[in-house]
Amino acid sequence: MSAMRHTLKRSLRQALTLCAVTILAACGGGGGSDAPPPTTTPPAPITQAELEAASRLAAQATFGMPFEALEPMARQGTEGWLVSQFNQPPTYHNPVILDIVQRREAGEFDAFEQDIEYLIFSRRLSWWHNTVTANDQLRQRVAFALSQIFVVSDNVDTLQVYPFALGTYYDLLLENAFGNFRDLLRDVALSPAMGLYLSHLNNNRSDPANNIFPDENFAREVMQLFSIGLFELEPDGTVITDVNGDPVPAYDNDDIREFAKVFTGLSYGGDNAFFGNEIVPRFDIPMVMFDANHEPGEKQLLNGAVVPTGLTGEQDIELAIDNLFNHPNVGPFIGRQLIQRLVTSNPSPQYVERVGNAFADNGLGVRGDMRAVIRAVLLDPEARDPNLAPNGGKLREPIVRYVSILRQFGATSDDGFIAALGYFIQELTRQHPLSAPSVFNFYLPDHSPAGEISDQGLVAPEFQITDANSVVNYPNLVDAVLFGDFVTDAPPGFDAVTLTLAPWEALANDPGALVDRLETLVTYGSMDAETRAIIEAAVAEIQDPATRTRAALYWVLTVPATAVRD
Amino acid sequence: MINRRQFLSHSCSLGVAASTVGTTLLSLGAARNAAAQSAGDYRALVCILLAGGNDSYNMLVPSDTSQYGAYAGIRADLALPQADLLPLSLSNTGARSFGLHPGMSALQQLVNTGDAAMVANVGTLLEAFDPVAVENGTARLPVGLFSHADQINQWQTAIADGRTSKGWGGRIGDLLQSSNLANGVSMNISLAGTNVFQSGDDVVGYAIESTGNGAANINGYGDAAGFGEYRTRVWDELLAVQQSQVFRREFRKRLRDAIDTEVVFSDAISQAPTLNTTFSPGPFSTALNQIARVISVRDLLGANRQTFFITVGGWDHHDEVLDNQAGMLPAIANGLAEFRNALVELGTFDDVTTFTISDFGRTLTSNGRGSDHGWGGHHIVMGGAVNGGQLYGDYPLLAPNAALDVGRGIYAPTTPTEAYFAELALWFGVSPGDLDVVLPNVRTFYTPESGTPPLGLLTG
Repeated sequence: MSAMRHTLKRSLRQALTLCAVTILAACGGGGGSDAPPPTTTPPAPITQAELEAASRLAAQATFGMPFEALEPMARQGTEGWLVSQFNQPPTYHNPVILDIVQRREAGEFDAFEQDIEYLIFSRRLSWWHNTVTANDQLRQRVAFALSQIFVVSDNVDTLQVYPFALGTYYDLLLENAFGNFRDLLRDVALSPAMGLYLSHLNNNRSDPANNIFPDENFAREVMQLFSIGLFELEPDGTVITDVNGDPVPAYDNDDIREFAKVFTGLSYGGDNAFFGNEIVPRFDIPMVMFDANHEPGEKQLLNGAVVPTGLTGEQDIELAIDNLFNHPNVGPFIGRQLIQRLVTSNPSPQYVERVGNAFADNGLGVRGDMRAVIRAVLLDPEARDPNLAPNGGKLREPIVRYVSILRQFGATSDDGFIAALGYFIQELTRQHPLSAPSVFNFYLPDHSPAGEISDQGLVAPEFQITDANSVVNYPNLVDAVLFGDFVTDAPPGFDAVTLTLAPWEALANDPGALVDRLETLVTYGSMDAETRAIIEAAVAEIQDPATRTRAALYWVLTVPATAVRD
Repeated sequence: MINRRQFLSHSCSLGVAASTVGTTLLSLGAARNAAAQSAGDYRALVCILLAGGNDSYNMLVPSDTSQYGAYAGIRADLALPQADLLPLSLSNTGARSFGLHPGMSALQQLVNTGDAAMVANVGTLLEAFDPVAVENGTARLPVGLFSHADQINQWQTAIADGRTSKGWGGRIGDLLQSSNLANGVSMNISLAGTNVFQSGDDVVGYAIESTGNGAANINGYGDAAGFGEYRTRVWDELLAVQQSQVFRREFRKRLRDAIDTEVVFSDAISQAPTLNTTFSPGPFSTALNQIARVISVRDLLGANRQTFFITVGGWDHHDEVLDNQAGMLPAIANGLAEFRNALVELGTFDDVTTFTISDFGRTLTSNGRGSDHGWGGHHIVMGGAVNGGQLYGDYPLLAPNAALDVGRGIYAPTTPTEAYFAELALWFGVSPGDLDVVLPNVRTFYTPESGTPPLGLLTG
C-alpha cells in the first residue's frame, strides 16, 4: 500500500516536472497524456492581451501564424500549445526533394532546364514549401535555429549539386530538434554533409614519416561552435577569467590535435564503400568508420578523460561525443544561442542559467533533453513578459520576417506548392537557410555593433547583415511582394505564389481597425503610439481599398518597430 | 554647377527629395569647393581581407636551394615544385631568394617593377614571441589564437587581448573623417557589408555593392509626385519618431542614414568617367573596379581621405589547398594589376595603398589534403608610395624543429600586426601622437615618436 502510494506520488511528481513548472491546467492531469483537459463550460472570450501574447509566442516559436490561428493558440496557452507542437509529426524535407528529383527525371523541367539547375533548386524549393506550409512550426523553427549553430552551406558546390546532402542534413536537425542533444551532436559529427563541409570526411590517420597529421578542422569547430565554445563558462554563461582578468580557454591546440585523431577514418557509407571515396558520395546515410584509416592509440580528451588504446574508431567517437556532451559549458553555451535565435539577443545571466539547468536535467535526471531546453527557452518569464527584459528583443532575421509574410497573409498557388528559390531575398538581405558564407553563420552570437548598442554592452547579431544596402532592400522586397508582380522567386514549372488579402481588404473601410489587426498580428501591440498614428493617417490617405490594404501592410511590415521585436 | 534642367532630371532618376534638395545642392557645391582647396591631398587605404586564413607559405615560397629543401621537406604533399615558382627580384634579401605561387605572374610583375612589396610572417602578438615562455605557459598570447572568429577580428581591431567591435580603420575614421566634406558619406566605404575594420565610435563603413552605382534607396524615395511623394513623406515622418528602445533607435538610424547618403553618393558616382582599364569579371576585380570608380569621383564626394574594404572568402583550405589556391591566387594577382592600371589611369596610384590581411597563416605540415590553422602569414602591399621590390619583415628560416615552430609547422609571427598597421596608418595621415588611439598596443613593438617608420615600406 505504501509502496503503491510512493509510486503514485513519484509518477505524479514526474508528470508535474514534465509539465515544466507553469500552467498545470494544460498538462493533462498527471495521467501522462498531453491532451488538454475536457472543458464543460463554454470558453471565456479571449482578451486582446491574450491574443497579443499568442502573437508574441508565434513570433518567437514559429515562422508566423495567420491571424485566425492566434485565438486557438491563446486558448491552448503557451504550455498547451508547446505540447501540441511537440506531438506534431515531423515534416521532413527529403520527400519533397525526392518528388522534384523524380519529376525532373520524368522530363517535366526539360523545357526550362540548363544542366543541373533543378537538382540544385530542389533543396531550396523543399525548404520554402515546407517552412511555409508545415504544421510542425515549432520543430521547423528550432531546426532553423540549429542550422545557424551547426552550420553547413550550399556555397560548397558538392553540397549544392547533390540535393539530398543538405536535405538529409536538415532532416537530421528536424528529427533531433525534439530529441536529445547528444544524439544531435553525434548525428552531426557523422553527417556526410558536415564531413564534407568541415573536411573530416576522408580524414586519414597520421603519417609522421611524411609529416602528415590529421585534419583539425572539425575537431576545432565541434568544440568552438557546436558544443562548449572557446572559454570556460559559469553556469549562467558568463566567461570565467583568471587572475589577470583574461578569459580561461576551454581547450588548447593540443586538445584539438587529440580530437582530430578521434575524427579520422570516416568516409561515405553504402555498398562497396571504401576510404578515400570521393566519386560515389552517399549523403543519405551517415559516414562509416574504416578502422584501418583511424588513428590508433590513446587520445586525451577534455578535463582529464582519456580514450584508451585499442578501441574501434566508432567507440572513440562515442567517447569523444560523451566527453563534449557532458562538459558543463554545453547547457549555457547552446542555450544562450537558442534564446538568441528564438527570443532575445541579450538574455539575463539568470535566464541563461535556467535554460542551462534544464539542459543539465530535464527533471527526470536526463541531460540534453531538447524538449526541456525548448520549454525553458520559451516558458521563461523573460520570454513571456517583455517588461521583464529591459534590453529585450532582437532584430528580426530577414528570412523569418519574409516567411512570416507568406504565412500570415495566405500564400497560395494553383498547384498548391509554395515555390521559391530564395536567391532574391538572399541577395537583398544576405540570409538564406543553409547558405551562410562560412561556418560562422550569417552573424556572430557576440556581434556588438559600434555605437549605442556596443556602448551599453549589448550584442545584436542580426545587425551584422544590416548595412546601407540591405536596410533599404528589405522594404523594397516587401514593396515587390505587395505592389510588384512578385511574391516569391518561383522557377519555371511551378505556379506563381500569391497572397490572400481579401480578408484584410474587408477591413479597409476602417483604417483604424485595419491597422489594429495588423499590429496585433505583426507586432502584438509593441508598436509605439507615434508610429502607429502616422501609419493610420497614411493608410487613411489612400481611398482604393485594395491599395489601402497593401499600403497598410507595407508600413506595418517595414517600420523600425516591426524590424525589432521586444 | 547643376543647372535647373539637370536638377529636374536628377529628381526623377535619382530621387532627390524636395525637402533635401537644398542641402544636397549645397553639399555638392561645397564638395567642389572643398575639392578645389584640397587638390593633391588625397589618400586612400584599400584593405583586402582574405577570409579563412590564406596558406601564404605557398604564396611566397623560399626558392634558394637550402631553404626550398627545408620547405619541401616540411610541406610534403603540399609543396609547390621549385621549378614552378615565379622568381622575385627582391633587393633586400641577401643570399636568400623567394618565388611567388605559379598563378601570380601579375603580382610577380608588380613586385619586380617596384609597384608592390611583400611583408613576411605578420601576425597577432601581445609581446615579442618567446618560445620558452610559450612552452612553460607564461607567455601572453592573443585571445582565441588559431580560431577564425577571434583572429579575423583581431586583424581588423588591432586588439589581440580582447574582443571589441571597433576596428583600427574605424578609429582612423573617427580622427580623420572631418578632413572630408560633412555630407553624410562615410570616409570608410565597404564592398563587403558591415565590417569590424571600418567601425569606429562615430564613423561606420558605408556599404555599397560592386555592381551598378552601388547604392540602393527605398523604391520611389524622393519622387516629387504620386506614390513616390507619398512614400517619401511618410518615411520621413516615420523616421523622425524617436524610438525608446535601443535596437529600434539603431535600426532607425541605419535606415535614415542609408536613405540620405544614397542621394549624395549616387549623384556623385553616376558622374564617374568611363575607365579605359578593363577589369576581369570575377567578384574581386568587380569590387576593385567599383572602388576605382568611387576614387574617380572623390572630388564630387568631397573626400580627402577614404578607406575601402573588400572581403574575398574561401581561404580555409583544410582540404584541396593546392587546387583551390591555383584557382584563387591568380584572381587576386590579376585584380591587383587591373586596379593598379586603373589608378595609374586616374593619376592616383601614388595616393592609394592597397594591402592584404587574413585570419592567420596555416600549418606548414599537411593533413593529407590541406593545411590547418596557423599564426604568422605573408602579405602584399601595393601602391605608388610603396618602396616596392622588397621583402619587409623576417621570413623565418624553415627547419623541422625551428624555434619559431609552435607545433605542426605553425610559425610564430616575426612581424607584429601593429608594425604593419602603424606603417599604413602613419602614411595615411594619422599623426604619431594619435597612433596610440588607433593601435592601443602599438608601444609594445614601436615608439611612435621615433621618427622612423616601423617597416620603412612606404614613403611620402
